[in-house]
Amino acid sequence: MENEAQMTASAGAVRWLADRVTAVWDLLTGHPLSLYGASVLRIGYGLLYLVFLLREFPHRDEIWGPGSPWTPALAQQLFEQTGWFSVLVLSDSHVYFELCYVLALVASGLFLLGWRTRVLSVLFAVVVISFHSRAIFMTDGGDNLVLLMSLYLVLTACGRRWSLDARRERLRTMRAAVAPASARSRFARELHDARTTLTTVVHNCGMFLIAAQVCFLYGSAGLYKVQGALWGGGTALHYVLNLELFRPWPALSHFVDEHTLVVAVAGYLTVLLQVAFPFVLFGRLKYPVLAMLLGMHIGIAVLMGLPLFSGAMIVADAVFLPDRFYAFLPHLCRRVVRRPDRGRPVSGQAVSPQAVPAQGGPGGTSGTKHRVGLPGRPR
Amino acid sequence: MSSGIDSAGVEEIEQSDSGPATRECPDARAVPPGQPRSARALKAGLYTAVALCLAASVVHVILVFLHVAPTNTVSKRYSPLVNAWVYPFFEQNWRLFAPDPESVNRRILARTAHTGSDGSVRVSPWFDLTTADRSAVEHHPFPSHTAQNMLRRAWAGYVDSHGGDDKARTERALMMQKYLSNIAADRAAARQGGVFDFIQLRVVTLPIPVPGPAVGNHPPTPVENRLLPWWKVTRHGK
Repeated sequence: MENEAQMTASAGAVRWLADRVTAVWDLLTGHPLSLYGASVLRIGYGLLYLVFLLREFPHRDEIWGPGSPWTPALAQQLFEQTGWFSVLVLSDSHVYFELCYVLALVASGLFLLGWRTRVLSVLFAVVVISFHSRAIFMTDGGDNLVLLMSLYLVLTACGRRWSLDARRERLRTMRAAVAPASARSRFARELHDARTTLTTVVHNCGMFLIAAQVCFLYGSAGLYKVQGALWGGGTALHYVLNLELFRPWPALSHFVDEHTLVVAVAGYLTVLLQVAFPFVLFGRLKYPVLAMLLGMHIGIAVLMGLPLFSGAMIVADAVFLPDRFYAFLPHLCRRVVRRPDRGRPVSGQAVSPQAVPAQGGPGGTSGTKHRVGLPGRPR
Repeated sequence: MSSGIDSAGVEEIEQSDSGPATRECPDARAVPPGQPRSARALKAGLYTAVALCLAASVVHVILVFLHVAPTNTVSKRYSPLVNAWVYPFFEQNWRLFAPDPESVNRRILARTAHTGSDGSVRVSPWFDLTTADRSAVEHHPFPSHTAQNMLRRAWAGYVDSHGGDDKARTERALMMQKYLSNIAADRAAARQGGVFDFIQLRVVTLPIPVPGPAVGNHPPTPVENRLLPWWKVTRHGK
């Protein structure tokens, strides 16, 4: 009797395990997860890098060029020690450097637009590696994050939404709907399916790596702060606000610094948010935490003059918003834009997660005129 | 440990997916009977590739974790593996203002010397490199890396490789000294023009006063006033 019960229990355990394995397999191979999130990363980091390159246009030679105090020879010497690599040191010519700079601008722009995204993502990663490693002693945490993300994005299918590739695919599907389907051999079909599955798996692994990377970032930033006496004493932000190179608006920094209570509370909140981040991602608590982190990063951007760093962090946070939020976003924007004409408030239903196409409203035809990205539409 | 991280990550990704939509997953394992050998080989290849992807992801996450975490028994034991995997491209450091933010401001000053044809030496007055950076940052919503990071990180690199004295004992220390000297020489040349053969730096470290009402009105006294040796400059020499 006891033996039988044991066998039932172990059979149950095996079935449970098999179910879990099947669930993980389906999740991994079923379909690409968080396609909007990946596209937000592509657009965000493409745009940030483009803005960064343009902002440093007057200083480009000083930072990455042959005239930099970190001379091409020094860079080459360091590469030999560290294993870094940069296309920028292949020649000391000014013309070559200007060409690379223009190429970097074009690559960032096209990556941002999502044109031939997979190829461009590799090119973008090479650009970011090259410019990062050439000026490695001028980088900060924001540059480091952009570099890591550009590497992970190569794995993802980040061009499936809000991109030129997506537009081309849509047009192709529309044409294919009228043209007769071409007959393919069974093996070709299977090969195609296998390729799709593998792309999906690589994408999902990439998104997992990105999520883990952001968790490591916040977790370690928070836990290392916990060990600091100044953070514990509530005065850490006083010292941050008084760093001369990170004080673009001295009067503003001074004003904040005068409020001891604000400085202490903001300091504690920073540490708590960062430590909590990896643990709140599995529940609804993540939304208030993400909102507070957004506020924190906007504060850093303005008060410390670090818009690039803050932008990189905000884009990384945005990947944790669900696809149904992004699918609903254009619809929400239209509503907000149209509201003044109508003079009607947006109904509460409009922001509920169960987004439905606009049901006409007083205008009548808006539901058919504007196609809305529905949650759960077939991918 | 690996399965814990893995399932956590998978659950997270599931959360950020498009939610309540019902999913139709084509079952990739449904193998019809009597399939040709090529299809079987394809399936086997696919399974292997998927397993490799998953294993690589998990390994990457563990090794990056060991790289980011404080030095511990595990990361010490596997440090060759961790370093081989993480460096150079996945190197990262998230000790942002941690464990404590810096409680000092550094002011880096420079002066140049030029030896005339008659053997006389003309030394320029000190000029402040950091103040130039500071005024470039002030009232700028998007300051340049050249103002915020260049000199600051070059000095940090110099101190890292030199320590307390100014003797370059390693190759890296020599490189950092050359870098710092190049930055100072470029700025001196842009500022005062002319030719010079030597440059000297002075680094004044000023403490940020403790919070609370200021006691008296006197400026903070430097905690360190480090005078570096004269360095020969070739970039802007004769």
